[in-house]
Amino acid sequence: MSPRGRFLLATLAGLVLAGLVHGVVVLLIPRLSETDALSRARSSEALDHPMPVNTVSAGDAAGQAPGQAAGQAPGRAETWLPIPDPSVAVGLCAYDLADGPMRVSARTGPLMMSLAVHGRRGAFYAVTDQAAVRGALDLVVLTRAQYDEALANADEDEVSHDVRIVAPETRGYVVVRVIAALPSQRPAADAAVQAVSCTVDSPAEDAKPGG
Amino acid sequence: MRMTLADTVARLRPARPAFPEPRSGSGGADAPRPGPGRRVADLLRDGGRRASTVTLVLYALALGAGLGLLTADYATRGGYPFGGVRVGAWTAWPRVGSPGADPYARAVNARRGEIPLTIGEGMLLTADQDDTGRALDAACTYAVAGVTPPARAWTLTVAGRGAREPGPIPMREGFTATEILRETDGRFVITLSPEVQPGNWLPMPRPRGPVRLALRLYDTPVAASAGNLDRSAVPAITRGACAE
Repeated sequence: MSPRGRFLLATLAGLVLAGLVHGVVVLLIPRLSETDALSRARSSEALDHPMPVNTVSAGDAAGQAPGQAAGQAPGRAETWLPIPDPSVAVGLCAYDLADGPMRVSARTGPLMMSLAVHGRRGAFYAVTDQAAVRGALDLVVLTRAQYDEALANADEDEVSHDVRIVAPETRGYVVVRVIAALPSQRPAADAAVQAVSCTVDSPAEDAKPGG
Repeated sequence: MRMTLADTVARLRPARPAFPEPRSGSGGADAPRPGPGRRVADLLRDGGRRASTVTLVLYALALGAGLGLLTADYATRGGYPFGGVRVGAWTAWPRVGSPGADPYARAVNARRGEIPLTIGEGMLLTADQDDTGRALDAACTYAVAGVTPPARAWTLTVAGRGAREPGPIPMREGFTATEILRETDGRFVITLSPEVQPGNWLPMPRPRGPVRLALRLYDTPVAASAGNLDRSAVPAITRGACAE
């Protein structure tokens, strides 16, 4: 084989290798990223309430959300979203189903609210406040095994309004969005995000000591 | 096999030592290329002749790693590379938040920390050019007029490209469906301009450079069938006067 042929062969091998590296890197980015929403949500210190991602009210109005907003820097500068919607308050609850099922309870108000459950591959469930029953929206995110257990333990006479969602992966996050249609509603939107509770459902019988 | 190849090259190498000399000025018969291209080709040919097998393997590895990483970075930097549906001047992104999103959209979301809208929540439409295909420029005045697809709520936001510049937050970055002033038939006109305008004035977020618009439809039935959207169902973007 001539030297030029060898060189062309090496270039060809390099190009094929480049294609493989390209594909592998693109597929690995979501797994390795430390700046994605899931990694950031898992670093949240907010207990039982969504971590404020995009607050829409001005700095001093954040005090209207009692307690939780106090530790956050006021204003909108804290958000990491690339093009945040200035009139939509966003909150995140990270879940790890190894700790137990995740219960998200929201009370609907005058503002439009939507909940979306994201796994690593994308959102697999979304619901708006129009699906609420008597002003309450209860989602329970569980694994297949936890779902079967919940079905087996369900009381026949008790009517449950929980929406049970089987998650494909154990880790993910729930996004709460509340839309403030008018600037005067922005403090209420922030407060509505903070009013959602995200708690780990304690198992009725302590089958597992984990948690 | 590799040994025989190396032997062949070792035998070939002294066989034509004078070859590079006459080629420089006359433009060899096998390379009728323009100037810079020919120089690169000469360089590559010289390199190829002298390179040992180890060098070539290293070269292939470096080429693969470098090119692969660079293209992966390029494809996942900034906006979504594909998956959009063109509707007039707008591009709808119905699938970027769903589990059926392509790997590039997932990588872009992960790198930017974006929380995409899913089909049940709403849909994002972006525009970085007007109806005639010219890029949106912060020095110009634009009229965003018409109707939006059916949705419970929508917001229209303007932003510059890339990260937000430090400095004071502009007093208005967008409109919601409730805030807007409408004509009697329900249509609206939003004037995107660096100068103060009557009506629905959306100030330019930066003094110069490209800008882009984001139309977010919340709780909309069209997210599941974005391909059927007609360009009369989205606002038209018309360019007006431009400051020099």
